[in-house]
Amino acid sequence: MALQILTANRLTDGVAVWYDVDGRWSESIAGAQIARTKEEADRLEAIGRKAFEDNLVLDVNLIDVEETEAGIRPLRLRERIRAEGPTIDYSVLA
Amino acid sequence: MTRIWNESGFQNDDPWVIETEETKAGSNQKPIVSLQSFIERAEAGETGLGVLIQPADDVRRVAPYLDRIALVALSFPAFNDGRAFSHASLLRERVGYAGEVRAVGDVLIDQIPLMLRVGITSFAVTNPVALKRLEEKRLPGIDVHYQPTARPAKKAEGYSWRRVS
Amino acid sequence: MYRYDEFDHAFVAGRVAQFRDQVERRLSGEISEDAFRPLRLMNGVYLQLHAYMLRIAIPYGTLNAKQMRMLAHIARKYDRGYGHFTTRQNIQFNWPKLEDTPAIMEELATVEMHAIQTSGNCIRNVTADHFAGAAADEAADPRPYAEILRQWSSVHPEFSFLPRKFKIAVTGAERDRAAIQVHDIGLHLRKNDKGELGFDVYVGGGQGRTPMVGKKIRDFLPEEDLLSYVTAIMRVYNLYGRRDNKYKARIKILVHETGVEKLSAEIEEEFRHLRDSELKLPEEDVARIRAFFAAPALPERPEGWANLAAWKKADPDFARWVDQNVKPHKHPDYGMVTISLKPIGGIPGDASHQQMDLIADLAEEYAFDELRISHEQNVILPHVALADLEAIYRALKPANLATANSDLITDIIACPGLDYCALANARSIPVAQEISKRFGSAERQAEIGELKIKISGCINACGHHHVGHIGLLGVEKKGAELYQITLGGSADNETSIGEIIGRGFEPEKVTDAVETVVNTYLGLRLSPQETFLEAYRRVGPQPFKDALYGATAEAA
Repeated sequence: MALQILTANRLTDGVAVWYDVDGRWSESIAGAQIARTKEEADRLEAIGRKAFEDNLVLDVNLIDVEETEAGIRPLRLRERIRAEGPTIDYSVLA
Repeated sequence: MTRIWNESGFQNDDPWVIETEETKAGSNQKPIVSLQSFIERAEAGETGLGVLIQPADDVRRVAPYLDRIALVALSFPAFNDGRAFSHASLLRERVGYAGEVRAVGDVLIDQIPLMLRVGITSFAVTNPVALKRLEEKRLPGIDVHYQPTARPAKKAEGYSWRRVS
Repeated sequence: MYRYDEFDHAFVAGRVAQFRDQVERRLSGEISEDAFRPLRLMNGVYLQLHAYMLRIAIPYGTLNAKQMRMLAHIARKYDRGYGHFTTRQNIQFNWPKLEDTPAIMEELATVEMHAIQTSGNCIRNVTADHFAGAAADEAADPRPYAEILRQWSSVHPEFSFLPRKFKIAVTGAERDRAAIQVHDIGLHLRKNDKGELGFDVYVGGGQGRTPMVGKKIRDFLPEEDLLSYVTAIMRVYNLYGRRDNKYKARIKILVHETGVEKLSAEIEEEFRHLRDSELKLPEEDVARIRAFFAAPALPERPEGWANLAAWKKADPDFARWVDQNVKPHKHPDYGMVTISLKPIGGIPGDASHQQMDLIADLAEEYAFDELRISHEQNVILPHVALADLEAIYRALKPANLATANSDLITDIIACPGLDYCALANARSIPVAQEISKRFGSAERQAEIGELKIKISGCINACGHHHVGHIGLLGVEKKGAELYQITLGGSADNETSIGEIIGRGFEPEKVTDAVETVVNTYLGLRLSPQETFLEAYRRVGPQPFKDALYGATAEAA
């Protein structure tokens, strides 16, 4: 199976977060906890479900990733954009 | 558990039971039956009937039997299936039914003020938050309205379409 | 413009309190996300890729300086310093916190603004011609009716849980600038032979997965029957619109599957019952609302003519801006100014808080405090004396707001796309930026003439690509972005859905493809006066297919 990590959006502010190796929802994908087996993926999924029920996060998903020299890289473009932010420079106005 | 609420509060002796394959009304209970079954019974001369209107039903079909109805129940299988709001409106405005209209199904607190405005008068409530809010008499409605609806309301100052509760 | 009375203030205050309570219940977990989602959507709060998104209503695209300054303030205080004006004349903020949204609503209420029903399966912002009240070709200003519909549709209990969203547009000129034929209900306000006001009613237009042009179901509905008739349409839709499939739930599908004759008969039957009900519009109510939209008293400013000629002669850039971005006004001393939010290489429709504040200042000083947002994602100053154009231009230029490209190829409409939107399959903004840069030179744009490019990042078509002269639809193929090109779409009186002309193009190839289309047009047009759309309608897709895919095309 593909490597997977757990991602969601934080309830209070909607910010994209990833479940990290310390058991925290982090705003960076860098330290995300990787599931390498089905059991680990199921475990992450259960953690995600509980966090949703505890009203910490919403839109919880396991996503496929690969490990590269530069770090964890989601396989889907959509998730890469979620991890890196908009690909355009929105601060360049006026 | 399901409790019946109307604007006088929770009703503890409600006799109505929605009849299904498994559930039938007991001796002290009154059945709410499907539209088809209601029409058959009404045609047969029965009175004091309870009828359940499903979202896809044509509520106007009860019109010839108004004097046979004791309760119309409108089904909200999912709270976001809004067809029963139109059923309630037609029941009041077109059919001219003036008796009890009850919302059954996915009845949540945020929709109850809207349901009241279209002429629904009682509610079969299961959702715990809704039960709690109704006990506290805290309905989350807005008291000024931008449109006339089936439930008559006082005209508001300003334009002809405005109302107040 | 419309001014709130006590009733309006009470309503919005009630709504803010209601929403605050709902947010608190959500944060405490008392209400589930499933139950909360439709409630937050009906208050304009979406969840997107990176954060929540808040869509604030700008009713029929009309606002004043105070309101624009509030939008700038919200951008600064609660967001990242900018906002995005949309194809439905609203504004979107991309980074609000859910816990801040009640406070935002409270601040909006102080300037008579809100985010009510900008999303959800309910009646959305009623849009109107952005030149309403100023255009020389207008029969009557449609905005009073947009305001009446806005009020009537606000928290309408019967129509808050429709099968799907519902969009209404109104126009009052012969030339439809509000795209009414691609709306669920399109209303064309006009006068009959007796000079009475009424509406031609179109139903079932829309874009998205199955684009359709609206069908006219009523010729000249009298003004007083507006609410009764719209109620009849809404009730029929609410009862019979499909609820089994999200992609078949709009009224256009109901029209298509039922047949326009049969559906129209059902609407007429329901209307028959409603016509003489309390929904009939009294003339004095219409007159009172219309009074809010009276044009400002416009002083004679004849000096503008001579001044303008001299300024144009002295400054070719200014001349270009006037010629392209200023359109004729009812009053000969005035013009309607388009402030382009499409700087070359920029993000279409975005404005910084500084730009918003500047625009507010200009509206107050030169434009009778009136602003519009067009569905083409630009800002309009509808009443500007020709004599003031130069001063406005000088103020706009350093703020990157004086791009002279209204209706030209770089006046691109683009949705936020995969850079922001959770529904998207591909990005739209970088594509728009590349195309804008490729065609950025003034000479090239002048050579090409009127050409409307519209880009959507997914089939939901928020970029209105179906009605672009050139439409681009971003799709995902094998994990990568691909752009389908459609040609010949238009949102004007002869509304047409663009035709797909062949297989899609990768991001790095799409700008070249667009250039091939443009060059093909330039090569076959009868004269520079024949626009791209006219040429396309004359020759059809084949020359463009050949150029892109045929034997004469370069190998991919």
